[in-house]
Amino acid sequence: MTNINTRIFDRELKKGSAELLILSLIEARPRHGYEICKLIESRSGGALSFHVASLYPLLYRLEKRGWIKGQWVEKAGQRRRRYYKLTAEGKKVLAAQRSAWESFVAAINRITGTEHA
Amino acid sequence: MPEWKQEISERLRGLRLEPAREAEITEELSQHLEDHHAESLASGATPEEASRATLAELSDSELLARELRRVERQVAPEPIVLGTNRRKNMIADLWQDLRYGVRMLMKKPGFTLIAVMTLSLGIGASTTVFSVVDGVLLRALPYRDADGIVAFSEVDRRNGQSSLVSPGNFLDLQRRGQVFAETACARPWRFEIIGQGEPEELNAWLVTDGFFRILGVNALRGRLFTPEEYRAGNNQVVVLSHRLWQRRFGARPEVIGEKLIFGNASFTVVGVLPPEVEFPENRDLWSPYIIPNNAAQVRVRGFLQTVGRLKPNASVAQAQAEMEAIAKQLAVEYPGANTNTDLKAVLLRERLVGQVRPALLVLFGAVGFVLLIACANVANLLLVRGAARQKELAVRMALGATRRRLVRQLLTENLILAALGTVIGALLANWGVRVILGLKEGLPRAGEVGMNWRIPVFAILVSGLTALLFGLIPSLQLSSPDLQNTIKEGSQTTTPAGLLRRLRSVITVAQIALALTLLVGAGLLARSFASLLRIDPGFRSDNVATLQAHIFRNYPKPEQQAAFFEQALEKISALPGIQAASAASAPPLIKDSIDVEFKFGIEGRPQPAPGEEPTAFHTVVTAGYFETLKIPLRQGRLFNQTDNAGAAPVTIINESMARSYWPNENPTGKRIAVQWNQPALREIVGVVADIRHTGLDSAPRPELFLPHLQQPFGSMAFVVRTADDPGTLLPSIKNAIWSVNKNQVIRHIVTLDQLISQTLEDRQFNLLLLGIFAAIALTLALVGIYGLISSSTGQRTQEIGIRMALGAQRGDILKMIMREGAALILLGVGLGLVGAFALTRFLRTLLFGIEPTDPITFLGISLLLVLVALLACYIPARRAMRVDPMAALRYE
Repeated sequence: MTNINTRIFDRELKKGSAELLILSLIEARPRHGYEICKLIESRSGGALSFHVASLYPLLYRLEKRGWIKGQWVEKAGQRRRRYYKLTAEGKKVLAAQRSAWESFVAAINRITGTEHA
Repeated sequence: MPEWKQEISERLRGLRLEPAREAEITEELSQHLEDHHAESLASGATPEEASRATLAELSDSELLARELRRVERQVAPEPIVLGTNRRKNMIADLWQDLRYGVRMLMKKPGFTLIAVMTLSLGIGASTTVFSVVDGVLLRALPYRDADGIVAFSEVDRRNGQSSLVSPGNFLDLQRRGQVFAETACARPWRFEIIGQGEPEELNAWLVTDGFFRILGVNALRGRLFTPEEYRAGNNQVVVLSHRLWQRRFGARPEVIGEKLIFGNASFTVVGVLPPEVEFPENRDLWSPYIIPNNAAQVRVRGFLQTVGRLKPNASVAQAQAEMEAIAKQLAVEYPGANTNTDLKAVLLRERLVGQVRPALLVLFGAVGFVLLIACANVANLLLVRGAARQKELAVRMALGATRRRLVRQLLTENLILAALGTVIGALLANWGVRVILGLKEGLPRAGEVGMNWRIPVFAILVSGLTALLFGLIPSLQLSSPDLQNTIKEGSQTTTPAGLLRRLRSVITVAQIALALTLLVGAGLLARSFASLLRIDPGFRSDNVATLQAHIFRNYPKPEQQAAFFEQALEKISALPGIQAASAASAPPLIKDSIDVEFKFGIEGRPQPAPGEEPTAFHTVVTAGYFETLKIPLRQGRLFNQTDNAGAAPVTIINESMARSYWPNENPTGKRIAVQWNQPALREIVGVVADIRHTGLDSAPRPELFLPHLQQPFGSMAFVVRTADDPGTLLPSIKNAIWSVNKNQVIRHIVTLDQLISQTLEDRQFNLLLLGIFAAIALTLALVGIYGLISSSTGQRTQEIGIRMALGAQRGDILKMIMREGAALILLGVGLGLVGAFALTRFLRTLLFGIEPTDPITFLGISLLLVLVALLACYIPARRAMRVDPMAALRYE
């Protein structure tokens, strides 16, 4: 039981936070899918990773919501790639999600912190 | 290196994405996989390891497709095949049905036009009548707790005639009534405005304390009367009606506090009433009524409008029971006045609209019939059209459409028709209500007829039901076509011949039956009206003008009153174009005259028991009155100028009075004791013919006439016969009267012809409306039978051709077809007669001179309907008769 619950918790957490992760990764500048994938993996020290099968549908979903925008970019000597950038609405969502996340983390810390104190 | 693109597109195949989008996704994902693969190789993996690791990115074969399906739009949603059994997309189906329906209707503009017109006629007519019924009969009165307000009346037990309440009886019912929280009365009054242009008179109600409380009315502006103002000396105050406030005072708010001069007294305006206060009837203003001390003795002349508010738990039935008990007590206490008097308490609403209820309900019922016939007609049209669409429906069914789905499609088309019919019907109703209110001026509560939520709800309900009614039967019938036969190329397009014809026959029979019922109703009203017009009123109303003058205030003494009328008549007679001029206290048809029934005594006969005394209506007339109205003299002589104060007291009676009290004797020369304000024993010098006093439909009544020189009276109407149209002479007649006294108010200036047509207005209105409804019904029913016969002969062209080829004569064919029509017509007429017998009794109160089952009307209308319906059959039958056998056989 505990095991299953933990797994569900894990999955939900990941799903919820994945959006936040992607949005914040392209905040500074547009990136393509492979780059995003790599960044998540490297920055989390390998703790988080996305498969193609889950990353791209998520990107398309965010694009459909109008939070990010994908664009084919051709650079000299390279094949064209699709870069995703944050839209104005995406920026708003990111800010909101970020603060929600921070307060969530803070809350968790308060609870777990006092328990351990 | 594996072919990444192929791996991906295999996984995407099931999604059926748009090709461009699929290519885009494939490109993006394969790049990712290539990068991944290259990186694996760069980090030292073997090609096999790198490929395996990269493929793992795609995870199991389903995940990608599953995830993408949630995000990506699929290729144009699969086309909705009409009649498929997909339930998941009701809205899309409905939209599809609507568009398809509109397209189908546009394809047949003739059908659509006729169907929509028929429906809007039915819906428009029924909504019109409903609006009126709603405003007049259904809506609550605009008074607080209106169902607790009762109105009282006196009823003469001998003839059932009801009248208003006399002051004495009012005081007693006020004192003795236990079930009322409060009772109050209003008496009509007049205020004269003199010295500002033509002298004018305002109609007023004098009301006792509590009257407004019972109605639950508050002032719109200012206030109503205070208790102090109901005391003598403080009562010089008035409240204006909303109409007078608007008309004469320009709706100025500052009018409150202003003083109005009436006659020689001044009254202060304290308030304005809201517009909806129309009880007892809309008058110009209101003032406090202080019941005089001697009122308790006045019991014979009811002139008070009286109302009471029931105590919280009391019912009208209790109030009525109490009234009966009080009437019994009063009959014992005042045998002379009250022996035959019943007191009656009814809901105020009943008092206001009880009179028009039967007519309105009859019209409402009639319009319901029209609606039914309209539905039947449209159902008929749909059936015919459905037969033509049989093949289309069969194809759709073959393609997998369920019956359910087809019925829905057909119902949707019907709903479109109904919706169009409702919109146009609503516009018609809007116009129709105005026409009705214009036609029926005296309709009580007419001001309350108008838009409210109930009317659109009614219209939508009617049209929804209509759509179901006219649409469902054909739909059900159509949606089980015989697939095999219909779909065969070249087969006749009219498969369900038997069932279809039977259904259409049933509908046609029903239409004829309904139309006959309405026609009989209209016929009864028409015959009533005709027999009314044949009634001789007993006087000649052409070229007669009447002008009424109340002169009590200007001429309080009897001699002055006699002198005023004599002088005025002299002036009027001197005008050019005047043939005769006279005056009477109560000439026929003038409602606001003082027309009273009194007791009289007959010389030489024993004193009758109290309440059994002979009575007659008493009218004071000038010499020349009978000549002016051309009322024939039957016996003796008419009045002349010598029947004056110095001469022997005389009287003239009418034939009814002579018949009632001297059945087998000559009444002239007999003497009767007449108790007008100067009681005298008067000799009967003449007998004149009866007249219909209050209208052509009123019965003659015993009447006696007094010469005004012997019995002057301060309220008489001038009756002037002119050579030409009296309208042009009215100004000079008025001036002639004002030349005697320029301050004399003249009221009710009208011609007798106008008054007669006013008395006919209600019947005319009922007849007109019912006639229109019956005409619509007849037309629709004829169209129905014509359509049925002509389409049935059309379908049988081939059969007719064969018959003729085998030797049938044209006459045989005609007979065959006419027989089919005649069977339907006779069945319809038979059923209609049964319906009419059952329903025309509701017309009883609207009829005059005939019974609700008048055989002439029933027979005549039936014959008429049979004849015109046969004619409607004859036209297509004749066409069939001319069929060329060869052509018919080649027709295939």
